[in-house]
Amino acid sequence: MLALFKNINGDKALWAVVALLGLFSFLPVYSASSNLVYVVGNGTPIGHLVKHAVFLIFGFGIIYGIHRIPTHFFKGLSLIAMPIVIVLLVITLFQGSSVDGTNASRWIRLPFVKFQTSTLAAVVLMIYVARYLTKIKDEAINFKESIVPLWLPVFAVVGLILPANFSTAGIIFTMVLVLCFIGGYPFKYLMGIVGSGLLALTFFILVAKAFPDAFANRVDTWENRFENFMNGEDTEADYQIEKAKIAIATGGIVGKGAGKSVQKNFLPQSSSDFIYAIIVEEYGLVGGVVLMLFFLFLLFRIVVIANGSPTTFGTLLALAVGLPIIFQAMINMAVAVELFPVTGQNLPLISSGGTSAWMTCLAIGIVLSVSNKQHRKSKSNLNINETNPLEILSGQL
Amino acid sequence: MAASDKKILTRLYVVAGGLFLFACVVVFKLVSIQMVNGEKYRDLAEKRTTKMFTIAPNRGNLISDDGSLLATSVSRYTIRFDAVTVKKEDFQENIKPLSAKLSELLGKPTSHYQQILRKAKANKNRYTLIARNLDYSDYMEVKKFPLFNKGPYKGGLIVEQKTVREHPLGKIAERSVGYENVDENGYYSGVGLERAFGEYLRGIEGKRLKQKIAKGQWKPIGWDNIVEPKDGYDLISTIDINIQDIAHHALLGQLEKYKADHGSVIVMERETGEVKAISNLGITKEGKYYERLNYAIGESHEPGSTFKLMNLVAALEDKIIDTSSVKDTGKGSWKIYRHRVKDTKHGGHGKISMAKAFEVSSNVAFAQMVHEGYKEKPSRYVNRLMSMNLGKEIGLPIKGEGKPLIRYPGDKGWSGLSLAQMAYGYEVSMTPLQTLTFYNAIANDGVMVKPRMIKEVKEWNKTIQKFDKEIINPSVCSRETAKQVQQLLKNVVEKKHGTGHRMYSPNFSMAGKTGTAQKNYQDKTSDKFGYISTFAGYFPADEPKYSCIVVIHEPDKSVGYYGADVSGPVFKSIAQKVYATSPLVDEVDMFQAKYAGLDNAYQEYFAEAQKKHSKVPNVKGMSGMDAVSILENLGLQVEIKGNGKVKKQSVSHGTDIKKSKKIVLELS
Repeated sequence: MLALFKNINGDKALWAVVALLGLFSFLPVYSASSNLVYVVGNGTPIGHLVKHAVFLIFGFGIIYGIHRIPTHFFKGLSLIAMPIVIVLLVITLFQGSSVDGTNASRWIRLPFVKFQTSTLAAVVLMIYVARYLTKIKDEAINFKESIVPLWLPVFAVVGLILPANFSTAGIIFTMVLVLCFIGGYPFKYLMGIVGSGLLALTFFILVAKAFPDAFANRVDTWENRFENFMNGEDTEADYQIEKAKIAIATGGIVGKGAGKSVQKNFLPQSSSDFIYAIIVEEYGLVGGVVLMLFFLFLLFRIVVIANGSPTTFGTLLALAVGLPIIFQAMINMAVAVELFPVTGQNLPLISSGGTSAWMTCLAIGIVLSVSNKQHRKSKSNLNINETNPLEILSGQL
Repeated sequence: MAASDKKILTRLYVVAGGLFLFACVVVFKLVSIQMVNGEKYRDLAEKRTTKMFTIAPNRGNLISDDGSLLATSVSRYTIRFDAVTVKKEDFQENIKPLSAKLSELLGKPTSHYQQILRKAKANKNRYTLIARNLDYSDYMEVKKFPLFNKGPYKGGLIVEQKTVREHPLGKIAERSVGYENVDENGYYSGVGLERAFGEYLRGIEGKRLKQKIAKGQWKPIGWDNIVEPKDGYDLISTIDINIQDIAHHALLGQLEKYKADHGSVIVMERETGEVKAISNLGITKEGKYYERLNYAIGESHEPGSTFKLMNLVAALEDKIIDTSSVKDTGKGSWKIYRHRVKDTKHGGHGKISMAKAFEVSSNVAFAQMVHEGYKEKPSRYVNRLMSMNLGKEIGLPIKGEGKPLIRYPGDKGWSGLSLAQMAYGYEVSMTPLQTLTFYNAIANDGVMVKPRMIKEVKEWNKTIQKFDKEIINPSVCSRETAKQVQQLLKNVVEKKHGTGHRMYSPNFSMAGKTGTAQKNYQDKTSDKFGYISTFAGYFPADEPKYSCIVVIHEPDKSVGYYGADVSGPVFKSIAQKVYATSPLVDEVDMFQAKYAGLDNAYQEYFAEAQKKHSKVPNVKGMSGMDAVSILENLGLQVEIKGNGKVKKQSVSHGTDIKKSKKIVLELS
């Protein structure tokens, strides 16, 4: 045990923030469980707590394991993982488990858990992009040359996620663009990519509209949600938003107290999508702002780690996997306060999200790996030792 | 070169700054929802998620004088069956035992219930009626039946509870006990004591704030109720169940015998005005009788001859007449203006005293008395009646008291005939209770007490309010007048010529006045024409305990209609039964066997004891016991030796008592 603690390396502040958020997450999860148990009639309160604890322990195991992996290994790993991920996405999309005609095929069923492939794909894709940007950083960038190694995989992944999960696809695409921007990819080309992305999306929607029965998709759901956000008609999403706002308003400055949320009983996604509203209701404006500050501090540590990384890959890698966590958190909170249409994004590290939480842990682990000074000591050796087969593999591409 | 590390950092700061700004916007929006729109959403929250629930208090009981429950609230359960929620296997497995159990409890055959249940299942009926208004113990049984014991979701058991008002003693005094309903606006309606004293019985609703946790599911907020429900008070009524029962059945029997339209009885305690029984029965189309309307309190009608008492009292008070004054009633018909006043006795009563005129109920004599006595100043007559509280309502808490009518001279409807008409109870109108109140005042030597039906308001054993005897008029007439008419009322029953003599019984005494008023007499040939037979009075005749009035409307004329025949027997049977069940008036003659020796000894003793002694008597030969009692009664100190008869007395007979103090008797 002690050895385990000795081997905890990397940014201590990041560890602390993640651990605190993990501990805090028990409160809203436990609170929300009362709705599931007494109203929906699903499980027991302790059961939900234990389940969450098991997920968290596994999650921290992942963080610990990943942060021990030397940073540059991820270059090669992303190359290997990329085709696997695409295959998994194809399987997910075409396994055809649709709910009432809308494509809800976001998961692959594994024994015990459902696995949301898009979250793994996001992490892998971001690492892949970071690797590519690192590779071309000393070269003059030719748009045509970057199409196949960069944009082809990006569009493949995003395109495969899109039919079932628009918001995740959108976030991944946005994050790729942001990363490319940071990584020095020319701005004019990015605009072109954005343009073509929009074009592709329009095409997809038109096809879906023209042949509604051709394949399961959620175009109608997006349309509803978006229209809803733009005008103020009474619909299901409006109902959710109103409840979220009631939760926030009734929370007041210091909140109603742990577990005393009322709206959790009416918000269908009280433990995931709208968890921020419930947190504000229970812990008040103070709790909501403090949680926001935690995420900003997380952002700060990620920036610091990126800054402190001796290699460009390290910098970009930390940002590639770190920024989406912050971004996703912001989106989740923005939905609760009606800055954004309802998306269905979890609040990372807080929501009881199952496997998607593990992918967040994977990302945190990678960021910690970047901050791990132990890897840097051995870095010089590795620079000489180019016999690493993965490094060679990556160099060839 | 695509990117230097420095360039990467600059761009990173741009992105991080953007995220920071975004975070600021989120927090700003958060504050704005709370501060700017906060009120609106908090109101919405309250509206949507909290609701004030009321907790119904238990209504108080209505209790009779002797502690029996007249009205009480109980829970009743209606059982229904949801055939859809039950699993097919469960249904098949349990339908037979369930039907058997239901049949056992509810009486109908097993097949009946099987059919109902199967039909419900086939039609997917989710609300099939199984049984209505079960009491608590039956409901507990039903809950344990097969299938139903699986509860509402798996067993399909639907239970609806409601609180109903029960009358454990049945329909007795139903109308006077009454009922009270409340509509959705909180407006109360109803009749009888339930309505009149509703404010005491109702109690106070409790309030409890509850929070919605899902559709149709509410949980209480906080530990306590906001307002604790307060149960209603119990009302102790003056109604005596025994007397009520007697009155009810006596009236019912007579109504059935005479096929009358309706009738009422009131029994009142003379001293206190407590109404011991009040019964009102009306006929249905099927010829059955039930407590239909509160005739005793609500129906004002022309009293007829019972009103002669009021006139006689008025005339006596005004010294217009004396009971010994003689009126010539001639042949039983007296013409006044164009009207004829007639007596019922064929051939008339001739010259009779007012006392006898009252006892035989001579209309002629009374018409003459009032007309002649007051024609100079009719208002004097009306004022006298008014001073006897006859024109006023009693002012009962029960709603719907009938208005009495006594016209003033000059009022619409007043004519030269009015005095003569009012003399025998027409052109005036009173309710039975108002008439009784006056008769009670006469029985009470002129003190008019207010009739009341409620004694006490209680919360468990604590008295909340007591309703004491109320005196309406301490003296409706002088004591002498009261005594005079009391004798006449007694004579009505006792004297052979009295109109009530047919009721006479040597075993107990009654006093009262008969009345046979015509009703709808404008056209005597019409179907509506009928009689109102009345008997008002009190019993026992001396030191009366109860006053009572019996009014029967529209008896079948072919069977009979005179007050003494129709209403009198009801009065009599009430008086008799109250008398028989009242331990105070029981007198039993002891049966003793004749024994000559004992008789002689007693005669001897009695003769001695009756004598006035100034000297010591001779007690030799007397039994010791008798001797001692005689001597001690004379003030002597007696000492005895031995037992048996007196053999020797220490002071010889003939000695002055004053001189002797002690006497020693030797017995053998």
